[in-house]
Amino acid sequence: MIQSLRRTVNVYGAIAAMVPKENLAYNIWVWMQFAVQIMSMIIFVYFWRAVYANATTLGGLSLQQTLNYILLAQIIAPLVENRLIFHFGFLVRSGQVAMELVRPIDFQARYYVESLAGLGVYLVQKLPLFLLAWAFLGLQLPADPAAWGAFAVSLILGQSILFFFDWFFACLAFYSTETWGLSVVRVGVATFFSGALVPLAMMPDWLQLLAAALPFAQALAVPASFLSGITPAAAAPQVWLIQLVWLMGLWVLSRRVFSLAVRKVTVQGG
Amino acid sequence: MEFPSVPVIQVENLSKVFRVSHKDPGIKGAVKALFRPRFDAKVAVDGITFSVEPGEMVGYIGVNGAGKSTTIKMLTGILVPSGGKVQVLGRDPHRQRVANAREIGVVFGQRSQLWWDLAFIESLNLVAKIYEVDPARYKQLLDQFAETLELKELFRVPIRNMSLGQKMRAELAATLIHEPTVVYLDEPTIGLDLIVKERIREFIKEQNREKGTTVILTTHDLGDIEELCQRVMIIDAGRLIYDGPLSTIKDRFGKYRTISFDTAGPVGAFDPSTGSGLVVPPAAEVEMSEPRKLVLRFDRTQTTASRVAAAIMDQIEVVDFSLAEPDLASIVKQIYSGALRDEMVQEAAA
Repeated sequence: MIQSLRRTVNVYGAIAAMVPKENLAYNIWVWMQFAVQIMSMIIFVYFWRAVYANATTLGGLSLQQTLNYILLAQIIAPLVENRLIFHFGFLVRSGQVAMELVRPIDFQARYYVESLAGLGVYLVQKLPLFLLAWAFLGLQLPADPAAWGAFAVSLILGQSILFFFDWFFACLAFYSTETWGLSVVRVGVATFFSGALVPLAMMPDWLQLLAAALPFAQALAVPASFLSGITPAAAAPQVWLIQLVWLMGLWVLSRRVFSLAVRKVTVQGG
Repeated sequence: MEFPSVPVIQVENLSKVFRVSHKDPGIKGAVKALFRPRFDAKVAVDGITFSVEPGEMVGYIGVNGAGKSTTIKMLTGILVPSGGKVQVLGRDPHRQRVANAREIGVVFGQRSQLWWDLAFIESLNLVAKIYEVDPARYKQLLDQFAETLELKELFRVPIRNMSLGQKMRAELAATLIHEPTVVYLDEPTIGLDLIVKERIREFIKEQNREKGTTVILTTHDLGDIEELCQRVMIIDAGRLIYDGPLSTIKDRFGKYRTISFDTAGPVGAFDPSTGSGLVVPPAAEVEMSEPRKLVLRFDRTQTTASRVAAAIMDQIEVVDFSLAEPDLASIVKQIYSGALRDEMVQEAAA
């Protein structure tokens, strides 16, 4: 038991360790994303200051809370643009899926580990953005370690929920081979309903309901709310429980979907 | 104690049918297909049966689209068969895909299993970790492979910067680093120059000799087959039309042999530049004639090499002569163009 656990950790640990190395191969992309994010943060700050010119609270949020929230949301927003759907399309279209299927590792576990490692790499890479937002754009971060803990756990859980949710759509690649259109629609919907543009509390009731029924907010609005002081850290256990229910349900379903989808594989060419 | 040898691969009545969307040409056809998609069934593999014993090296050949790669993909667990049975080392390769993957190695000549942007050695380290190769053993194999495949100067190079030949050597090393029991090589020498081909064949032979690795090789390069395989399977339109020793096929179809003579110069009425004036022995014909060289082809079911040689030497001063083995390329050309099918039909009729 311990032996097999150690082996699993070794194998998937090695896969995770490759992620930072692969990311470093695309230096220019990292800098470009930096520039775009700084610009959009500045725009959002001026926008929300203007909106608050004649009000002290909106949807129950103060200007400072909204600014905190929107800055954090903008820093982690690219995480919502999961590339899994697009990647599966590539795998199937190019026939590279054949190579992935002859590796002696669990297909889903491998991508999950890569996505978690990617999250870690992303946060380290974006540390300068946190500092910039804090020093120049008025981001106020909590001193309470409980808020940070609530943020970290709910971010990991939320990103995992998103991963398993995306897995369904990614598996459609095995049937249709074309997923580009799908991934574009998915990014648009996710950006809005994750709360990356507008705090969910400011949306009309029916939209809030819809956002809660979709998994995107779990990956962005939920963790960002902890760190921006909108959700108190005391609410963390309840939030985590909801996230765990999401996670378990999607995980079980996604395993089932993959085992069906992989039977449909046709390998293009060669 | 001797154990009876259990086949490594057992295939029974295996078939694979693909659904291919059917579109009429032009915009009209595309629109029609959008609203009422139609699918044609394409039979890629049509009820094949064979088994492979441990340590065998089997050449699996056929024209493009004959069903070679589809068979390999079912053997490796990538594709699910539409019918029939596959067992590799006692497992169903698709149902037990991960367990199966641990014991096999696969090279698809046109794809890569290595990480495109990483230095080769990093990819290799990761592959070794994924397959749980013992670190000490890994080091040993690394040295060994570095020598036979000349990899030393490639370790630091990312795959994307490698030439085709370098890439294939790297792929082979990565495929065999966990010492798999069965190796599937799908066109491993495609597009490579002779020196690299030679090195790769040597390497495969060595692995087979030293570790008893079972090798299934699909290729269009008959040199690969001649160098590596004693057994050949030929697939045509999804059916296995031949499965047997390479020598049998050579005997059966190598009906014609060529004999070439180096001549000292013109003799008698013989004009070497045209070949005229020569009395050609029965059941033979002139294939090529140059001032100092004469090549004849003869049907060895009707005459013998010595009769042909004697008849020529009576007429011309011969410096040297040589008899060529039946050439597999021309045999396979005959088979692909239907000779074996015709023969099977004749046998069935008789």
